[in-house]
Amino acid sequence: MFIARSEYDRGINTFSPEGRLFQVEYSLEAIKLGSTAIGITTSAGTVLGVEKRITSTLLETSSVEKVVEIDRHIGCAMSGLQADARSMIEHARVTSQSHAFNYSEPIKVKSCTQAICDLALRFGESADGDEEESIMSRPFGVALLIAGYDEDGPSLYHAEPSGTFYRYDAKAIGSGSEGAQAELQSSYHKSLTLPEAEELVLKTLKQVMEEKLDAKNVQLASVTKEKGFRIYSDEEMGACVQRIEGES
Amino acid sequence: MAALSHHHLSSTAPFAFQQAPPQNHSGEPTQHAFYPYTDNGGSTLGISGKTFTVIAGDTRSTSGYNINTRYAPKLYPIGGQGPTHKGSKIVLSVVGFAADGRALQERLDTVVKMYRYQHGCEISVKACAQRLSHILYNKRFFPYYVQAILGGIDEETGEGALYSYDPVGSYEREYCRAAGAAASLIMPFLDNQVNLKNQYEPAAVSGFDKKQLVPQPLERPQVEELVRDAFTSAVERHIEVGDGLQMMFITKEGIEEVYFPLKKD
Amino acid sequence: MNHDPVAWGRPRDDIYGSYNPSYLPPTRQPYSSHPPSHPTTHTQSPVVTGTSVLALKFSTGVVIAADNLASYGSLARFTDVKRLRPFNRNAIVGFGGDVSDMQYIDRLLLSLVVQENYAGGGESVTLMNARNLHTYLSKVLYKRRTDFNPLWNALLVGGLDEHQKPFLAYADLLGTTYSAPSLATGFGAHLAQPIMRKVVPDEAAAAKLSKEEAVKTIRECMKVLFYRDARSMNEYSLAVVDVRGVELKEDNKLEAESWAFADQIKGYGTQTV
Repeated sequence: MFIARSEYDRGINTFSPEGRLFQVEYSLEAIKLGSTAIGITTSAGTVLGVEKRITSTLLETSSVEKVVEIDRHIGCAMSGLQADARSMIEHARVTSQSHAFNYSEPIKVKSCTQAICDLALRFGESADGDEEESIMSRPFGVALLIAGYDEDGPSLYHAEPSGTFYRYDAKAIGSGSEGAQAELQSSYHKSLTLPEAEELVLKTLKQVMEEKLDAKNVQLASVTKEKGFRIYSDEEMGACVQRIEGES
Repeated sequence: MAALSHHHLSSTAPFAFQQAPPQNHSGEPTQHAFYPYTDNGGSTLGISGKTFTVIAGDTRSTSGYNINTRYAPKLYPIGGQGPTHKGSKIVLSVVGFAADGRALQERLDTVVKMYRYQHGCEISVKACAQRLSHILYNKRFFPYYVQAILGGIDEETGEGALYSYDPVGSYEREYCRAAGAAASLIMPFLDNQVNLKNQYEPAAVSGFDKKQLVPQPLERPQVEELVRDAFTSAVERHIEVGDGLQMMFITKEGIEEVYFPLKKD
Repeated sequence: MNHDPVAWGRPRDDIYGSYNPSYLPPTRQPYSSHPPSHPTTHTQSPVVTGTSVLALKFSTGVVIAADNLASYGSLARFTDVKRLRPFNRNAIVGFGGDVSDMQYIDRLLLSLVVQENYAGGGESVTLMNARNLHTYLSKVLYKRRTDFNPLWNALLVGGLDEHQKPFLAYADLLGTTYSAPSLATGFGAHLAQPIMRKVVPDEAAAAKLSKEEAVKTIRECMKVLFYRDARSMNEYSLAVVDVRGVELKEDNKLEAESWAFADQIKGYGTQTV
C-alpha cells in the first residue's frame, strides 16, 4: 500500500507527487486499530454499539466511555485515539449549544457532523500563524459514528480524520469493521425495528470481537424521537445480551 | 473708580493668563459630542392570523419637521434568493433610526442566507426571531436604535407568527403590535379591535357577571381594514406618519405586497 | 512660530521644553513606526463648510447644483470651491458640510476611479453606476459614524442606475439614506424642496419632466437660496447626467436677480422706520 512512501510523509500538510497526504492516510489506518463500533438506523431511531476492550480484570468497565452524548438528540460512538475524540466532541457540544442558544432550535445532525469535520483538517504548521491557530499538530486519529434524530427523522453519519463524512443506514468502524460491514451488508433491511437493530449490532459485534461478548464488554446506546440520546443501563445491557444468547 | 480699584486690588493677576476654560454648572468642561442617532419617524404594525401574518408600515421618512422622502420602505423581506429575496417567507419591519434599521436588516438577511448554506434548509421564523434578538443584544452598549417587528408563518402549526422587539433585543411573540412614532395611537386601537380588550358579552356588559370577549383569529379582509383604519387615523394625528401605506401579507405561498396611498400633508 | 495646529494654544517649546507625548493616548495609525506624537483626533463639528446641494430627476437623467462657496463660520472664506464631483460617465456627487471631509471622500472616489480605469474604463467595461456609488458612500459614512469619527457631510448622488434609468439619493454623516424625485441638503431642504416638489410631486411626474424644465427649476431654486441663505453665493456649479454622460459647468452666475424687494425690508440693523 505504501509504495510511494518517501520524505513526503514528514510534512503533514505536504502533498506527495502522486497527490497524497500521507499523514492523513496513516490516520485512517490508526482507526483500523481501534475497537469496533457499529451504528444502525431504523425508522424508529438509531442504535450505536461499541466494543469495550477490557484489558485487565482490575479495570472498572464503566470508566471506558466510547459512546457519548453531544446534545439531547445527538450521540456519538468512537473508534481510535479516544483523547482526540474528546476535543472533537467538545467542539460538537459547544457548536450544538451555541446553535440552540442562537436559534432556539436543536441543531441538525448533518450540521453537527459538518462542525466536527470542520475541525478535522485544522492541523499542521498553520500557514501564517496569526488568525486561525491550528489546534493539532497532526491529523486526528479517530473516526466517529454520529447518530441523531432531527426534523428529517433518524440518521447516522460517519466522520473520518480526512474531514469527509457520509450518511449511512448501517456502518461499522474500527478493527473489526471489514467483517462487521460485510455482516451488516447482508443483514440490514429498511424495515428493521429498534430491538432488531439492537440485536443485529450485538450479533455483529459478537462475530468480530476477540473476547467473548458479555454485558460488560459492549455498550449500546440509541437515539429516538421520544427519549433522545440514551446510553443503555447495565440492566438493559444484560437483557439485550440475554436476548441474543437465547437465540443462538 | 470703585469698580476699577476692585480690579487692581484683587490678589489674582489681572491678565488673561488666568482665564479658566468655560465651565458648565457641573464643573466639568463643556463638550460638544457627536450624537450618532436621529429619529426618522414613521410607524409600523403587525397582526398575525390563522394562516397569515401582515406587517405594515407607512413610507414617509422625516428629519424633524422636514419630509425627507415620501417613499422609504420600512418593510424588508428577509432571506430568499438573491437581491430580490425571491421565495422569502419572513418580513422584518424596522422603525426609528433608519440607518441602523438598514444595517440591522442587512445583518439579519446575511445570517438567514448563511443559515441556508450551512444547514441546507430555510430558517424557521422562530429561529430567525431568536437570532434577531441576539443581534440586537450584542450591540447592547451601542444599540441599533430601532423597534423591530418580525413576521412569518410558524412552521409547526402553519399559523401566523409575529415577534416584536425593543432596541436591545427583548422580544415576545404576540398577536399584534404597533411600533414607532404613532405606536401610542395605534396600539390601544389594536388592543380593542384585535385582542377585544374592554369588550364584553352583550348579555351582561356590566356588573359581576360580565364576561370579556375572547379574541378569535381574524380573517384577512378584516385585518386589512383594521390596518388601513389604524394608519389613516394615525396620519390625522401624527405629523411624522403619512404619504403611503405598505403592507406585506405573509402566507405559506410567500409574500404579497400591497400599497395604498395616504394623505401627504 | 510653530504652525502645527496641535501646537496652537500650547506652551512654547523654546521656553518650556517639548511636551512629553508618551502621556497621550496612542495614535491609531496602524503601520506608524514613529512613537505617538499626536493624540487621535475626531471631527466634533465641521469647520470650513459648504451649504445646500440641490438635485432633481427628469425623464432621462438628473440635474444637480451647488454653489461654489466654502464658509468658515459666517466668513465667506473660499469662493471657488467646486462641490460637485463627477465620478464617471454614470454618476456625480454633490457635497454639503465639511470641506476637508469632502476632500477626503474625493480621494476615496479617485482611488475607485483609478481602479475602474485599470480594468479598461472604456465603453466595454461595466462601470460603477450611481446606485453602486451611493451604496459605497453610505457605507463609508455609516462606518465612520459608528466609530464616532464622522465624515461631516450631507451628500447627493445623482446619475444613472444599472438600467440606465435616472437615480438620485441622499446620504449623510449618520449614514441616513433616502431617495426621492427631488432632493436637497441643508437650507435647500427648507427653501428649495417645496419649489421642486411642485414640479415633481412623484416619480411619474419626474419621468415626464424635460431636461430644460428641470434645469430651469434648479436655477430658480439656486436664486431663492441665494436670497435667503446667508451662507450662499451667486456663483454655482450645475451638472446634468444622462445617457450622454456628465455635463458639468462650474461657473454659472445667478441671472435676473430681483432685489426690488430689498429696500422694502424694514426693522433690521440701523434702519427702524
